[in-house]
Amino acid sequence: MTAIGKYWRIALGVAVIAALIIVPMNFNRYGLYILSQWTVMTIAAMGLNLTLGYAGQVSLAQGAFVGIGAYAAAIMTTQGMPLIAALGVAIVLCFAIGWILGYPALRVQHHYLAFVTLAFSTLAFLVFRNEDWLTKGIYGISNIPRPNVLGFATNRPLPFYYFCLGSLGIVSLAMWWLIRSPWGRAFVALRENPVRALSLGIDTRRYTLMAFAIGSALGGVAGTLYAPLTQYIDPVPFNLSLSLDLLMMVIVGGSGFFFGPFLGAMIAVLLPEWLRFTQGYYLMLYAVAVMLLLIYSPTGILGILDRYLTERRTKAASALRAVAKSRLETAP
Amino acid sequence: MRSGIFAGLLLATVSAATAFAQGAPIKLADVAELSGGGATVGNNWKNGIDLAIEEINAKGGVLGRKLEVTHADSQSNPGVARAQVQKALDNEPYVLLGPGYSGSVKVTSPLAAEAGITQIMGGEAAELTQGGNKFLFRTSFGQQSSMPKVAKYINDELKAKSVAIVWVNNDFGKGGRDVITKEFAKYNIKVAADLSTEAGQADFAADVSKIKAAAPDAVFVYLNEEESARILKELKRQAVAAPLVGETTLVGQKVVELAGDAANGARGHVGLTTDAPVDLVKAFREKFVKKYNYVPDHNGLKGYLAIYMVKATTEKMGKVDAKKFADTLHGLTIKAASEPGILMDVTFDEKGDIDRQGFLVEIVEGKQVVKQVLPKLN
Repeated sequence: MTAIGKYWRIALGVAVIAALIIVPMNFNRYGLYILSQWTVMTIAAMGLNLTLGYAGQVSLAQGAFVGIGAYAAAIMTTQGMPLIAALGVAIVLCFAIGWILGYPALRVQHHYLAFVTLAFSTLAFLVFRNEDWLTKGIYGISNIPRPNVLGFATNRPLPFYYFCLGSLGIVSLAMWWLIRSPWGRAFVALRENPVRALSLGIDTRRYTLMAFAIGSALGGVAGTLYAPLTQYIDPVPFNLSLSLDLLMMVIVGGSGFFFGPFLGAMIAVLLPEWLRFTQGYYLMLYAVAVMLLLIYSPTGILGILDRYLTERRTKAASALRAVAKSRLETAP
Repeated sequence: MRSGIFAGLLLATVSAATAFAQGAPIKLADVAELSGGGATVGNNWKNGIDLAIEEINAKGGVLGRKLEVTHADSQSNPGVARAQVQKALDNEPYVLLGPGYSGSVKVTSPLAAEAGITQIMGGEAAELTQGGNKFLFRTSFGQQSSMPKVAKYINDELKAKSVAIVWVNNDFGKGGRDVITKEFAKYNIKVAADLSTEAGQADFAADVSKIKAAAPDAVFVYLNEEESARILKELKRQAVAAPLVGETTLVGQKVVELAGDAANGARGHVGLTTDAPVDLVKAFREKFVKKYNYVPDHNGLKGYLAIYMVKATTEKMGKVDAKKFADTLHGLTIKAASEPGILMDVTFDEKGDIDRQGFLVEIVEGKQVVKQVLPKLN
C-alpha cells in the first residue's frame, strides 16, 4: 500500500467516525434506536466473523450467546447490580460455553457442526423459556435499567447510542489487535489449511476452541447491550432466526473481512427499515436484494470490493510487466 | 381603507387556517404483527382497523375530520415492535393502536405512556393493565376477567373436583394457565394434569394419553385454534369422556370447521367472537367477509372496536385532544344503541380493562349454541 493510500484510508475512517458521532445528534428516537441496534448487531456479527470468517467454523449458536448476555444483563441489573458486573458474567459464561461447544468442531465440520450448534441454540431457547425461576419464562423481564457511565445517565436515546457506539469502538480496536496478532494469523491459517497449520506448529485444537470461545464471548457482549437497549426481553428474539440473521450478516458483509460485519449488520438492520415504505412488500424485496447480492458475489459486499482491488492491482502489475518487457526487448 | 383590506386578509387567513385544521385528517398509528409468528393476529387486527376507518370516513369521519392510519410491521418481535412504536410516536399520532402480542405491548407501553399518547391494544395477558399505566386500554377481556368466569362454571355447573389443563407455551397460554390455576385453588379444584404444548404442535397423542391416565372430571383446553382442533380430534380418538372446557379459541368457527364431529360437546366462555349471538356482531362479520373474503377471528373484532373506541371517545370530548383522550376513556360507557360500531355495550374502568357481555357456548352438531349469556357487571 502506498503512503497516499494509507492517508486516504485514515481520512475516510476519521470521516466515518465523525459522521457516526455528529449526524445522529439530529436524529429522532426511532433513528437512534435503529442505529443503536446496528452497533449491537455489529458486535455480535464480529464475534461470529471470528468463528466463521477467520477460523472457518460454521456456528448457528451466536443468537443464543446474545440471549445469554441479554439475560445476564437483565437479571443482574434489575436486581440492582451494575451492568459492568453483568458484562463480566456474560463474557466468562459465554467464553466457557463457547469453549465447550467448540469440542464438537474438533470432530465434525460444516453442516454437521451447524447441526450441533443448532441443537445448542434450541436448548438455550428452551432454558430461557422454561426456567421461570431465573428468566421469568415467557413473560420476560421488563424495566431493565440503562447504565450510568462515568457518572452520566444513559436513559435518553442519544447518550445510550453513544454508549453503544463507544462499546463498538472498544470491541473493534480489540478485534483489530487480535486479528493482527499471531493468534489472528493462526486462525486464518486454520481456515486456509488445517493440516498445513498443524505442520507449522499451530495447536489447531486449541485455536479452534479459542475461536469459538472468543466469538461466543462477543455474542455475550452484544447481549449485555441489547437488554438495556430494548429494556424488555423475552425468549422470542433469541430463537434460531437471530442466529441465522447473524450468519447472514457475516456472509453478506463479507466473511473473513474486518469490516464485513459492519456492512452486514447495516444491511440486515437498516435495509428492511429503508424498504418499509413499500408496505407489505418490504420483507420480500429485502430477501430478493440479499439473494441477488449473494448470487452476484458469494463473498459478500466486501468481496466485490476485494475483487475490484485485486483486478486493479493485477492490471497495474500487467501494465508494469508489459512496460518492463518492452524495455527489455528494446534494450541494446 | 387600507387597514380594512389588511383586516379582511387577516380574517381570511385565520378562517382558512381554521378550516384547514378542521379538515385535516386525524392521524392514527398502528403497529402490529404483520409478519412472523403472529401474522394471523396482526393481519386480522389490521383488516378490522381498515374496515372501521373506511366505514367512518364514508359517513363523514369523526367531528367532520377523516381518520387516517399508518400500519407498521413488528415482525412479531418485541425489539422491532419497540422501534416501530418509537417511529410512530415520533410522528405524534392521535392514538397508538396495537400491538397484539402481550410481550410487544409490554415493551412498548412505557414509551406511549411517556409520550402521553393513548395506546389501544390487543394483548390479553393479565398483568398488562396491572402496572398502573394510565394510557393503556384493552379491546377485549384480559385473562383476569375471563378465567374466573370459566373456573366458576367448572365448579358450579360441572361440579368438577379435578381438572386437567392443556395450554400452549407462549405468553397467551401461560398467562391463562396461571390465572385459572389460582382460580381453581379458590374452589379447591385439584389440577390432575398440567400439560404445556408448543404452538404449531401436530401430535397430541402423548398429551391425551396423560389426560386419560389422570382421569380428571373436566379438561381445560387453552390452545390456539388449529391446535385446539387437533387435540379435539385426538381426545375423541382416545375416547376421553370428561367435559372439555375452553375460552374463545376452543369453540370458534374455525375449530368447528377443522375438527368436525370431534368439536361436538366442547364448551367455553367467549368474550369476543364473530359467532356471538348479537345482531351487530353478525352484521360486522358479513361486512368483513364481503371485503376480505374470510371469516375474521377475534383479532379482527378487536381492531374494528379499537377504531370505534377512538370515535366514541373523541365525540364525547367534542374535540380532537390527544392529551385528554385517556382521561375521557377511563370510566366511559359506550352504548351500542348510540354507537353501533362498538357492537356491544362496554365500560372501561380506571385500569383500562373492559366490562362487557360474555357468553357460555357449547358446540352441538357442529354449531355454536349459547347456553348462558353472562351479563355485563356494571
